[in-house]
Amino acid sequence: METEELLLNMGPVHPSTHGVLRFKLRMDGEIIKECNIVMGYLHRGTEKLGEMKTYLQFTPYTDRLDYISAFPNNYAYAKAIEELAGIEVPLRAEYIRVLTMELNRIINHLVFMGSLLMDLGAATMIMWGFREREKALQLFEMLCGARMTFNYIKPGGVRDDLPDGFIPKLNEFLKDMEKRIDDYEQLINENEIFLMRMKNIGVISAQEAINYGLTGPALRGSGVSYDIRKLEPYSIYPDLDFKVCVQSEGDSFARYMVRVDEMRESLHILRQVVDTMPEAKIVAQAKYGIAPMTGMPSAVSTYFPRIFAPPAGEVYSRIEAPKGELGFYIVSDGTTKPYRVKIRSPSFCNLTAIPRMVVGLKIPDLIAAFGTIDVVLGDVDR
Amino acid sequence: MNAAEELKRLLPNAVVSTGIQINKPLAVIRKEELLKVAEDVKEMGFDHLSVITGIDYTDRFEVVYNFFSYGKKQNLVLKVILGHDNPEIDSLTTFWKGADWLERETYDLVGIRFTGHPNLTRILLPEGWIGHPLRKDYDMKTEQFVMLGEDGEDVVSTDGSKLLRRK
Repeated sequence: METEELLLNMGPVHPSTHGVLRFKLRMDGEIIKECNIVMGYLHRGTEKLGEMKTYLQFTPYTDRLDYISAFPNNYAYAKAIEELAGIEVPLRAEYIRVLTMELNRIINHLVFMGSLLMDLGAATMIMWGFREREKALQLFEMLCGARMTFNYIKPGGVRDDLPDGFIPKLNEFLKDMEKRIDDYEQLINENEIFLMRMKNIGVISAQEAINYGLTGPALRGSGVSYDIRKLEPYSIYPDLDFKVCVQSEGDSFARYMVRVDEMRESLHILRQVVDTMPEAKIVAQAKYGIAPMTGMPSAVSTYFPRIFAPPAGEVYSRIEAPKGELGFYIVSDGTTKPYRVKIRSPSFCNLTAIPRMVVGLKIPDLIAAFGTIDVVLGDVDR
Repeated sequence: MNAAEELKRLLPNAVVSTGIQINKPLAVIRKEELLKVAEDVKEMGFDHLSVITGIDYTDRFEVVYNFFSYGKKQNLVLKVILGHDNPEIDSLTTFWKGADWLERETYDLVGIRFTGHPNLTRILLPEGWIGHPLRKDYDMKTEQFVMLGEDGEDVVSTDGSKLLRRK
């Protein structure tokens, strides 16, 4: 029977696109022949804003890139400046940074699991995931007063020390989380519908995944044992014991399993961080202060100048964010504002592979495959 | 010998200079030789194209490529310097598929044309946007409005009088 091809528009406002993203699909019956992605609905010109703000003023904007996991964004930006200016960060600050980032990795993966299952039609996981996420958000609130946009990690250290009673509450969370992950796996892993929707869907080989520039859990799901925390160790990761979670199948289920394993590894890292955290100062002494530090009320902010100018130069610095490789390319011309800020966001680069992955699948499979890539539109559009 | 020096040994005519960009070997490449260099870079094992950046220095453009090799665990930075009028450079999409959107983004925001790119259209901004925002001479005074056209595609105009506005 002869059929006509149909042009189907999905989005920009659609519950499964996790924000405002539009798919233009060329369909042959139920089969996707071609997938075009239209984006930019959330484009706020973050890179241009970077050129107009001083180095420290730009930190809050990084929170708004990947707003599900903002601590790694703060950190990636701070790390780039520290590399550029050669700033040594105190050890305790690095411990606090890793603590926040790994906690953020766990709740990022909780949101991932919740929204993936929701897209597939199961509502339990999002309730469960958000229940645990709430506890972590309360910890963040204790730490810096914010639940999503933290502005906490800044060049040279962190904004404030851990508050009283933080560690006991964190320990409680860690103990609780252990059991919860077992619960999730019991709920999801053996579910026949889930397996049918995930196995052998959106398969991408290791070679192709690398060629498309996939990073993070999406690449590890294709059997590439890579992790920037191991390859180019930064912060205190060389001192910590953790393993890289890899699955070899390269399908949606493999990408899901990588994240579940990563949550366990993050718990393992967090326990080590809590056990070995040193007592010491938390913010580096200023090296590049050009403005006198006057009129600053808090004791912490006097350690690091609000306005400073790193030496002229260029740096590309990357970290392993929960979604993949997050990099900042910063060009300094020796003034107090960056000359150019380029953000290499994991969501944007991982999304490149979607049109290739979904050809020949049906629309529900597109949703499943897209869910396992785990993008946040604030990070895609910048 | 680091990767940039090795590249200079392989292609002495293509590499203008070598150096270090904060722990990463850097090679400045002649624009005409980019495709030849890319072929060799890929053969050297640099399978991951991390990022493509375009920078406007008002008198010239610089395009920077950051590579990583999963096998050798090495970094390599390539830099190409372009003239300020009508900047154009070869596309690397045939070697790294990941270059596709990165090049489109560089075209969209910085205005560098990539010849040989299969679909060089704007990616973050709608088609028809005036100017490239990350250029230093970008006109930030003129407001631009995006409206929905007859066929459902975005239409850009500098006339916002038809928009509903809160009084």
